[in-house]
Amino acid sequence: MTKHGEISIWFFCGILMLAYGVVLIATGLTELHNPPPTVLAELHPTLWWGVLLTAFGGFYTIRFRPGKA
Amino acid sequence: MMFAGHQLTKLSPVDIVILVLYFGLVVFIGFYAKGKANTSEDFFLAGREMTAWIAGLSFVSANLGSLELMGWAGSAYQYGILAAHWYWIGAIPAMLFLGIVMMPFYYISKTHSVPGYLHLRFGNGARALSAVSFALMTILMSGVNMYAMAVVMQTVLGWNITFSIWVGAGTVALYVMLGGLRSAIINEVLQFVLIWAGAAMIPILGLIEAGGWSKLKAQIAVNVGSSDYTHMWTTLGHFSSNPMGVHWTGIVFGLGFVISFGYWTTDFLVVQRVLSANNLRAAKMAPVIGAAFKMAVPFIVIVPGLLALAVLKNADGSVMHLVASNIAKSTPGMHSYDEVLPLMLIRYCGPGLLGLGITALVAGFMSGMAGNVSAFSTVWTYDIYGAFINKKASDSHYVAMGRWSTVIGMLVSIMTAYLVMNANSIMDYVQALFSFFIAPLFGTVILGMMWKRATHAGGFWGLLAGTASSIGMFIWVQTDGSALRYIAMSADAKPMAENLYRALWSWIICVVVTVLVSLVTKPVPTAELANLVYGVTPIPDDGATSIWQKPLFWACVVITVFFILNLIFF
Repeated sequence: MTKHGEISIWFFCGILMLAYGVVLIATGLTELHNPPPTVLAELHPTLWWGVLLTAFGGFYTIRFRPGKA
Repeated sequence: MMFAGHQLTKLSPVDIVILVLYFGLVVFIGFYAKGKANTSEDFFLAGREMTAWIAGLSFVSANLGSLELMGWAGSAYQYGILAAHWYWIGAIPAMLFLGIVMMPFYYISKTHSVPGYLHLRFGNGARALSAVSFALMTILMSGVNMYAMAVVMQTVLGWNITFSIWVGAGTVALYVMLGGLRSAIINEVLQFVLIWAGAAMIPILGLIEAGGWSKLKAQIAVNVGSSDYTHMWTTLGHFSSNPMGVHWTGIVFGLGFVISFGYWTTDFLVVQRVLSANNLRAAKMAPVIGAAFKMAVPFIVIVPGLLALAVLKNADGSVMHLVASNIAKSTPGMHSYDEVLPLMLIRYCGPGLLGLGITALVAGFMSGMAGNVSAFSTVWTYDIYGAFINKKASDSHYVAMGRWSTVIGMLVSIMTAYLVMNANSIMDYVQALFSFFIAPLFGTVILGMMWKRATHAGGFWGLLAGTASSIGMFIWVQTDGSALRYIAMSADAKPMAENLYRALWSWIICVVVTVLVSLVTKPVPTAELANLVYGVTPIPDDGATSIWQKPLFWACVVITVFFILNLIFF
C-alpha cells in the first residue's frame, strides 16, 4: 500500500506514535518533581516511554512520509 | 466478561487528548480510504494490494480484540501459564499451516470468501449453510464486543453505557462504510501498534517490581501455595492435576488441532485479511509473519495475569484475591478476574500512560467490531445477497450493498448489545455459538482441499452433521452437567475441557459423515476440481528467488522458536 500518491499505513502508525510520544514527554517532564501515585513512579516511565515512542514514531513518519518515493 | 459495579479510576486532561487524537485519526482514515474503495474488489478485498507485512499484522490483529485480551489476562490469573496454550499451540501451527498449505488454494481459486470457496468446491448447499451461520455469528459477536467495551468504560471510567455504545458503533460504522476492508485493515495495523504501545509497560514494570521471572515464579508459588501456575505441560498428565481441569490430549488434539486449525484456517474474519495480499508469496508470508507476532502476545496478556498473582495487594498490604464476576458483583470491594488488566494498568500507569492504555483497549474493541462487520458485509453481499437474492447486479450496486449492509449490520449489533445488557447469559451463548460452526467447517474445508473424492453431498451433510452434533453436545451439557464426563471422557474434567472435546468430536463426526456420504455418491469430475484440490492443482511458483524470500524457510524458523518457548516454560 505504498503506491505513488498514496499515504502509507506506516505513516499513519508513525504520526500517531510521534504525537503520543511528544504528549508523554511533556507529561513526563511535568511529573519529574510531582510524580503520580503509581508503583515505580520514581523510574519516570511516562518520560522514558515518551522518548521511545517519539523515536519510533519519528522514524516511521519520516521514512514513510507522503510524497517520498 | 462482567465487572463489579464500581469505578476504578478517571481520566486526566492529557488522557483525553490521547483518546481524541486516536478518534480523529480513525475518522480521517475512513474518509481517506473512501476515495480508494470504488469497485467491489477495492471495497471487500482492499484491491488485493496489501503487502505481506500489512496483511500479516492485520491478520493477527483481527483476533487481538480487547475482549480476548482482558479475558485471557483474567484466565492467566485464574489458571496460570496454561492460558498461554491458546496463543501458542492454539494458534502457531495452524497459522503456519494456513500460510504454507492452504493459502495457495484460497488464493489461486480467486475466491472472495471462505463460503465462496465452499461454493466452488461443494456447491450452493454448503455455501448457504456456512454463509448464513457466519453472517449471524459475526453480527452477534460485533454486538458482544460493543457491549463489553461499554461495560469496561463504565467500570474503569464511569462512562455511560449508551454513550459508549453509540460513539463506538458510530465511529466504526463510519470508517468501515466509507473505506471498506482497506479502512478496517489500516485501523487494525494501527491498533496492533497501539496495543503494544499501551500495554507493554505493564509487564516491563511488573517484572521490575517482581524482581525478574525467577522471583515472580517463587512469589506466585508462595501466594497460591502451588508451583502448578507456571508450568505449561508438566501438569497436564491428568484432569485433576492442573488448575484448568484439562488433559494434554484435549490441549493437543482439541485445541491445537481442531479448534485452532478451524479458527485460523476457515474463519473468514481472519482469512479475509490474507486474501487482500498483493501476490501469492505475500499471501503465504502473511500468516507466517502473523504467527511470529502472535507468539509475542502472551508477554502483554499472560504475563500481566501472572504478575497480578504476585504483586496485587489490598490497601492493608495483604495479597489481593480476585474472584468470579458474579461474586465480585455482589461483594463490595472485590474485583473480578477480568479486571486484571485494568487493575495492573492503574497500578503502574499515571496520566498519559493511562490514556494510552485505555486508548489501546478502546482501539481493540473497535477493531473487533470493525473486523466482524467488514467480514459480515462481504459474506452478506457475495454469498447471500449476490448468490441467492440478486445474482446479476452491477459491480457498483454490490459496493452500495456492502456499504448499506455495514450500516445495517452495526444497527443489528447495537440491538444485540442492548439485548446482552438485559440478559447477560446471552453473551456466553453467543461466544459458544462460534464453536458450533468452526470445528466442523475445518473438517469440510480440509477434506475439500486434500481429498478429491469428497463430493458436494458429502460436504453438505458432513458440515450439517458436525454442526448439529456440536449444538447437541452443548445442549446436553447445559441441561445435564454430568454429561461432561462422557464428552471429555473423565469424571474429573472441568467446563474448560468441554469446549476442547466437543470440538474434537464434532470434527470427527463431520469428517466421518463427509467420507461416508462421498463414497456412496457420484464423484465430482476431476476437471471441475482444478485450482481447488491438492493433487489436481499445479501450485504456481510464488516467485521467491532466495531462501530469505521463501515462506517455508520463515515458517521453519517460527516453528523452531515455538518449540523452544514450550520447552523453556515446560
